[in-house]
Amino acid sequence: MSSPATTAPETARPPETRRPPRIPLWANPRLGLVVLLVALVVLFTALRPAFLDTTLTLVPLQSDISVYAVVGLAQLAVLSLGHMNMAVGSMASMSAFAMGLAYDRLGVPLPVGLVIGLAAGALLGALAGLIISRTGVNSFVVTLAMDFALVGLITILYTRFTDGVAFSGQPAGMTTLRNDTFADYCMGEVCGPRIPLIAPIALVAALAVGLLFRYGRLGREILMTGANEKAAELSGIPTKRRVLQAHALSGLLAGLAGFLLAANNGAFSASIGDQFLLPSFLGPVLGGTLLAGGAVSVLGTVLGATLTQVIYKGLNLLQFQLDELKLYIGLVLLVALSLDRIRHVIGERRGARA
Amino acid sequence: MSAGTMVETPAGGRIRRATRRPEFTLALLAVAGFAALAVATDGNLLSGGTLDAFFRYLAVPIVIGLSQMVVLAIGQMNLSVGALTGLCSMVAAWLMLQAGLPAPVAVLGALAVGLAAGLVNGLLVVVTRINGFIVTLATMTIIEGLRYGVNGPDTFQGYSQRLRDFGRASVLGLPVVFLAALAVAALVAVFFARTVAGRHLLATGGSPFAARLSGVSNDRSIVLAHGLSGLLAGAAAVITVAASGSVNSSIGDDLLLPSFAAPIIGGVALAGGVVSVAGTCLAAFLVRLVDVMQAQFGINPRWIDLIIGAVVLGAVLLGTVRQKLLRRSS
Repeated sequence: MSSPATTAPETARPPETRRPPRIPLWANPRLGLVVLLVALVVLFTALRPAFLDTTLTLVPLQSDISVYAVVGLAQLAVLSLGHMNMAVGSMASMSAFAMGLAYDRLGVPLPVGLVIGLAAGALLGALAGLIISRTGVNSFVVTLAMDFALVGLITILYTRFTDGVAFSGQPAGMTTLRNDTFADYCMGEVCGPRIPLIAPIALVAALAVGLLFRYGRLGREILMTGANEKAAELSGIPTKRRVLQAHALSGLLAGLAGFLLAANNGAFSASIGDQFLLPSFLGPVLGGTLLAGGAVSVLGTVLGATLTQVIYKGLNLLQFQLDELKLYIGLVLLVALSLDRIRHVIGERRGARA
Repeated sequence: MSAGTMVETPAGGRIRRATRRPEFTLALLAVAGFAALAVATDGNLLSGGTLDAFFRYLAVPIVIGLSQMVVLAIGQMNLSVGALTGLCSMVAAWLMLQAGLPAPVAVLGALAVGLAAGLVNGLLVVVTRINGFIVTLATMTIIEGLRYGVNGPDTFQGYSQRLRDFGRASVLGLPVVFLAALAVAALVAVFFARTVAGRHLLATGGSPFAARLSGVSNDRSIVLAHGLSGLLAGAAAVITVAASGSVNSSIGDDLLLPSFAAPIIGGVALAGGVVSVAGTCLAAFLVRLVDVMQAQFGINPRWIDLIIGAVVLGAVLLGTVRQKLLRRSS
């Protein structure tokens, strides 16, 4: 595996002879994504030079990428098991509600509210994981039903505790988090780069998830459970607990994504998480994470999220309507996945021949 | 008994077996729920207008549930059913209003679009070997774009009077569209129970490997299942166009989750190989009961999502418990 954040339990440290035919570098899906990304940036810049305008495009783009990379990671956490989380959006929304409530009613400082929200997300995820591991019901069904239930609950809660749409109270520092970039902080003559303040939060989350799945015992055991639950169980891994933990992680990351989006939008509102489901799959799947479980690619997920947001932003600048935007996003997804598949097949054939 | 019931085990089965089927529980629940609601509303539910509306708006959930069920039969999902129903509705209305074609042609046009989109889904899954979930996620996005592209944000209305009359007509106190949905359900049931292609679909869903060894083409099953799912989405669109009198690009947005709710409550396994047409129809009936309850008692419609979510989860949990009990008793 050539990218640092790619992990697959079977290929961790096996002897060279047992290794499956190595996929050449050019067939690596991550590399394909980078090439596609560069090509699209060049294309959009050629068509609209404003694409490289820092304040107009690049800073908001980085904020969006930060949010949707974390959304992708939330899905990735359960894809590692071969499960799905159809409730990422509503878990994010519930967590954002918890944070909004804490800031509005209790007046807690920013980090405390964040912790409360993350805990709420993790609890919801753990609940889903508990139901799945106890009953053995398909994760798709459980999280879909949970999504149904939560979407209803969220609207009820917002109408009861707010004017119906969003919390009015906000913690100190929220506006700073939203508007400032590192360029606003200077040490003498040297100012930081024009990167929004929320970007490092997403980066830390990605690094943490990457390290967890690559080196953490918990992460490795989750991947083993995803690759072959029976084998994992027989080798002494408490698979049920790992399922619960992976879902809790997914809920936690969904909560973080909800927080980042709220920071971006400037409000803890009921609409947070509405649009999370599709991007949550786009990132990981474009990045080469399989739905089958047992292997994840954190770097790929971040690249996939970046690619999606670049396309959105580019088409937006070119003044495409929403419907055309959807059409092209769908087409790009299909083309990218098909190309990936073709590359993979050719790569495997060459590898087998060599 | 096999807890996952194949569709239509021969009708002459013993009573004991029949009462053990999940459909029996669902039927009991449906009858009890309907009676309870009728009593709770002081018989208002049984008055002509209410009863008529009850069954009229049951037609689309049944057909859309079947549309999802067909794909679940081979162990895949079709996320594009809702968007596709919307697109087919818009195409049918466009054919009548903008192209000036007669209603029957528009109906055929909608069905053809549905079938074509479904076949494309199936072919993409077969050719690219990408997971069906992802393929239909992508085509859903594309179809949503196309659906909006037909007429932008504007509403189509005032199309063929005869089609709208068909949507409003009743026979023996039951709306024609509901009877049409039942007819579609009967056809789907016959397809799975009696035709070679239908049995092949179930074989593929049950075990693709075993199916291949016994000479079933899994690829053909996949294309067929997706094509049929698209065709049923087209049928749901025709019903929508006939019954609602006006369509716009938001049609289908609220259909995706119900399309899963009906087969899942109805006892269709996501793993494939098992279908239950009767269960899907009964589950759609139950969900509709919840809807009507909300309307009758003026409950905040938001509670409905919560209740349906709880019902789906409860039904699934009950099913698991039942299976465990049955396995222990046998």
